Amino acid sequence: MKIEKKKKKTIPLSQREKKRYILIEILNATIPEKDFYFGFWIELLGFFGSKGLAEINPRLVLYKDNKAIVKCKKDAEIDLIAGLAFIKKIRNKKIILNPVITSGTIKTVKEKAGFK
Amino acid sequence: MDIVYAQPLKELLQISSYFKEQLIVLVKDEAGEKIAKKRELIPCFIVNEKTDLNKLKKKRKAVLGGSVKANEFATKIKADFLLQPSNTKQFFDLGLAKKLSENGTIVVLMFEELLGKNSFDRHLYWKNYLEIVRYCKKKKTKFVVASGCKEPLNLKPGKVRQSIAQTLGLTNEEAKKALEELK
Repeated sequence: MKIEKKKKKTIPLSQREKKRYILIEILNATIPEKDFYFGFWIELLGFFGSKGLAEINPRLVLYKDNKAIVKCKKDAEIDLIAGLAFIKKIRNKKIILNPVITSGTIKTVKEKAGFK
Repeated sequence: MDIVYAQPLKELLQISSYFKEQLIVLVKDEAGEKIAKKRELIPCFIVNEKTDLNKLKKKRKAVLGGSVKANEFATKIKADFLLQPSNTKQFFDLGLAKKLSENGTIVVLMFEELLGKNSFDRHLYWKNYLEIVRYCKKKKTKFVVASGCKEPLNLKPGKVRQSIAQTLGLTNEEAKKALEELK
């Protein structure tokens, strides 16, 4: 029996999930990307739980010069920013996470961050 | 505006000036008040039932809540701030919210105390504060989230504190207005 492989159809732009990009500044310590992502994820998981975190769906898009651009679902950015308050230390280094800007497009966030 | 406990001021001022926020520092005596004023910070006296209130008539007063007695004391003296009115146990109700609203007292969640607890206690704090915010909304009492820290590196930016207040149940406008009116 021949099994035909079908290509997944790309979802039209109008039906895709809306998202928001947040620029987060890491103050007081220099942290590598992997450590930031792990520390960030663990603390948010502890506060929101598996279901809550899945509803926010945070993704690290870009990390450079101690600045991170994080993508999340629209209307979940408030919860994500509130979750930043629970992150005091990553790898025993005390840090402060400062949300600088929230935008619907990554272009605006990159411009504000000074990324090219 | 943010509320913090008295602590080493040099680093605190560096961080607060980076966030462009003015700070209210909780002090216990006139010496603390002088130091805070010297550094252009706003002092606020922490008072309890044993404090001589005659010396503090025109000064800002904050009461550390967390028991029925302390919360009632805050309404009796018409304190400017009621800090941490609840902990793992709930001491807040609609009647208290109404009295605080009439006196213009601001209810403050000192976030650092919540962070210092284990996950079960945090869950209880969070549950109690969801109720407190609900009562404050009904009686139009002002509610604010402050850093409440004793170390400069535990200061939280204004946007983060506003988001925490929104997560607890305030609307965007209510949370923003409450932070701006914290003077």
